[in-house]
Amino acid sequence: MAAATTPAALAEAQRRLELRALLQKKYKWIDGKWDLVFWITAIFVVAGAADITKQLFAGDWDFWTDWKDPQWWPVITAFATIIIPSALQYIQWAAWRFPTGATYTAVCFFMAAWVGRYFQWHVAESYPMNFVWPISTVCAAIILDWILMKTKSFILTSLIGAPIWALLVWAFNYIPLAPFLQPAHFMQHVLTVSDVQGIVYIRSQTPEYLRHIERGALRSFLGETQYVSLAFGGTLAVAGYWIGQFIGRYLAVWPIRRYIKTL
Amino acid sequence: MAQPQSIRPQSPGSYETGQSTISSRNPTDWSVGWKSLFWGCALVMGANIFLWFWDYEFAFTAGLNSASPEFSLYFRSLFWGELITLGVFTGVWYGWIIRTGREIAGQPYERSEEVRRIAVLWSIIGVTSLSIYIEASFWPNWDGSWHQTMVRDTALTPTHIPMFYFFFPLSVVLALGAYLYGMYRIPALYSREKGFPWSFFLLITAAVLECMEVAFNEWGHSLWISEEFFAVPFHWPFVAYGWLASGMFAVWGETILRLFEIEKAEEEANTIAPSRPQAVAD
Repeated sequence: MAAATTPAALAEAQRRLELRALLQKKYKWIDGKWDLVFWITAIFVVAGAADITKQLFAGDWDFWTDWKDPQWWPVITAFATIIIPSALQYIQWAAWRFPTGATYTAVCFFMAAWVGRYFQWHVAESYPMNFVWPISTVCAAIILDWILMKTKSFILTSLIGAPIWALLVWAFNYIPLAPFLQPAHFMQHVLTVSDVQGIVYIRSQTPEYLRHIERGALRSFLGETQYVSLAFGGTLAVAGYWIGQFIGRYLAVWPIRRYIKTL
Repeated sequence: MAQPQSIRPQSPGSYETGQSTISSRNPTDWSVGWKSLFWGCALVMGANIFLWFWDYEFAFTAGLNSASPEFSLYFRSLFWGELITLGVFTGVWYGWIIRTGREIAGQPYERSEEVRRIAVLWSIIGVTSLSIYIEASFWPNWDGSWHQTMVRDTALTPTHIPMFYFFFPLSVVLALGAYLYGMYRIPALYSREKGFPWSFFLLITAAVLECMEVAFNEWGHSLWISEEFFAVPFHWPFVAYGWLASGMFAVWGETILRLFEIEKAEEEANTIAPSRPQAVAD
């Protein structure tokens, strides 16, 4: 109670009272339905934006288990999947101080990816789900939101959170991937289980020359390839984070009540 | 040219006792302002389910050879059916918005009516959001699995027909329709005198660019990379759609601010001139 006697503490207490009164204020027409409609209908545009961004920048590496390789998958997936979560992080933080934008996006994206993968790849085209399962970014998104909540800084979140995002997206999805990286004896060759899947399930219109994707000088790094890729993936994720910030700031928030004046 | 409509301060008495059909009910009741959301989503989902089952039934049996009579019967007819349906729907809907909009232009309306109109605008935006998901996530998944498996011999493939030639133009129709609705019915935000809002500019541009990108995609597949590789550079412009559709958040933002303005005006009106029932209660 002694602290409340200083002018600053009194002002803070007054501000808190005002905020509490504002929070509990009853409006005539603004009710919970607006919140409900907003959060539910926004799911679709957020899921669509996140999924199309991932599909067209990194989709091939997410469609199949045998494409989830140590060279490219950690690099471009981290970049492609952080863009829309970053945009929603800005929108939700700017509007409500909710550190939930990345998680909200990741959950929307997760649901959309599974609906698409189940109905369009499994039911319609008969690919088994254990060959075409999508990645999840939910765990990495929770951590990214936690970093924003603790740092209250988009710059720090990008510098700390984006590399961690790259690491966690790979780490959390390595768990379901690991069984498919076990060795298998197939036609007198030792391959991974995912390689066998890639041979057995025909992709006649995927370019043959793109199938053997583990090539290049990184092979000389032997066991370090994965870590080099993750480091580069983290760097690209920082860039992806700021693309998302641009979307949130200048395409979603800046246009509010701005007009292109007519002559 | 439509003049900005004046807002008649609402009489709480008329709101409560119901002098007109619209003002007698809470504009934010599910069956009043939000009715369009449910009907719109039901129609779009109905169309999507129909098209999915159509492809599921006929894609493998009639959709593999574009030169076959079966393909013409099941898919070229579907293509034209989609365009005609969409054209008729657009003509009827836009015609209704513009005709009735001109009739009510300049007429005073109550605050509760503006709230209802904003709820209807949100409903159209919500349906647009659903359409965006279907065209940007649901169908591209089948498009990916189909084209990475089947040889393409036409731009009108079984998965392109619902996606490129129905849901892509549908999103343009919905986004532009939402703006027309706002222009004629929510002049405080979207009257012509204010200029063209950036929010709708981005949203409509996103939808239009998506349709134009279809041409780039088909051109790219015809002479650049005929196989399907999803991360191919001529697919990247499709992503711009998802990004520019962020303009939808600006529409939500500016209408929320307008709602607070309406609430404030209502509160001030009631404070200055309390209505009879309220005075009795006091």
